[in-house]
Amino acid sequence: MARKKSSMVEGEVEANLLPVMNVMFLLIPALLLAMEVARFAAINVVPPKYAATAETKEPEKKPEEEPLNLKIFIMEDGFRVSASGQQAGAEAGRETDSTRPSIALAKPSAPLNDFSRYDYAALEAKATEYKRLFPHETVATISAENSIPLQVLTSTMDALRGSKCTLLAASKSGQIPEDCLFWQPIIDAGAT
Amino acid sequence: MADEAFEQKKADRRAARRSKGGEEQGTLNLTSLMDVVSIIVVYLLKNYGTDPVVIAPTAGQKVPMSTADSPVQDGVPIYISARDITFGSQKVVQLNETGDVDPTQVQKHSIIPLYEMMAEEADKAKQTAEMQQKEWTAQVILIGDENLKFSTLVDVMYTAGQAEYSKYLFCVIQKNS
Repeated sequence: MARKKSSMVEGEVEANLLPVMNVMFLLIPALLLAMEVARFAAINVVPPKYAATAETKEPEKKPEEEPLNLKIFIMEDGFRVSASGQQAGAEAGRETDSTRPSIALAKPSAPLNDFSRYDYAALEAKATEYKRLFPHETVATISAENSIPLQVLTSTMDALRGSKCTLLAASKSGQIPEDCLFWQPIIDAGAT
Repeated sequence: MADEAFEQKKADRRAARRSKGGEEQGTLNLTSLMDVVSIIVVYLLKNYGTDPVVIAPTAGQKVPMSTADSPVQDGVPIYISARDITFGSQKVVQLNETGDVDPTQVQKHSIIPLYEMMAEEADKAKQTAEMQQKEWTAQVILIGDENLKFSTLVDVMYTAGQAEYSKYLFCVIQKNS
């Protein structure tokens, strides 16, 4: 009896790993399906009629301040930028100059599906200039010619928002960083 | 001589073992395999998607790249590839070679088949929200192809607006992810 007891105590008990392995092997394909290969993000876009009811309230805007009314029209040959009804780069004495873009293409010979043909850096510099003059403005109206691809529209919104703008941190803290320029885009079909 | 004795001893021992318990059973060592699998599971758990909406672009669709970092919020996804518009896992409209919607399916910028499906979905969502005593978000997520034409995008947005969706999110891939 005593001998039997001692053999039971001394004998090594091996854990049965097979059920655990089965679960693990089932978990792998399940997790692979739910895995984020590319990180998705979202750009909040406001259509024109809802512009006044944008989710975030405008921060202490001075009543006497004139609205900037920044409008960007994406053309096949560049950006047409206008603010307060005056097109940037228009001939002297004229409000608009439909023949010329305000910001010409960075690569004029590149095809339309080459998204880097536009001068986004110049557009961001222009936006920074306007932001300095109108620090409380956050809205920009964007329109485009029918053939303009979505990637160009997205990159334009990026340039207007500012390359240093991080809205993720702002959504947590509730305060929009100063690096963010015009981060509330309005998509307009008929803006010129 | 010594070798012969040693071989004999070995053979005797083998015979004794065989007569005792038959052939020896080999056991698989699973510990190292467990280690590898555990590491893979932890890695996959770390990369587990936490977005409320699972975005699964259709075959051949290239989602535009952006520096935007706002998370994708809950909403109804509309996939607009170079060939078709998909809503609620159903291909609603085919696009032609130039990336436009067939003009017979469009009425004053409203894409009729898409409008019908979206309006039906909106009614259902409103009823569900009412039953759960929640506010209907009326949010739509536009997952477009990078080559999607602006005119088609505007038509889709207009149609969504007609179906009472008032908030729009453009889904993009984070450039630095």
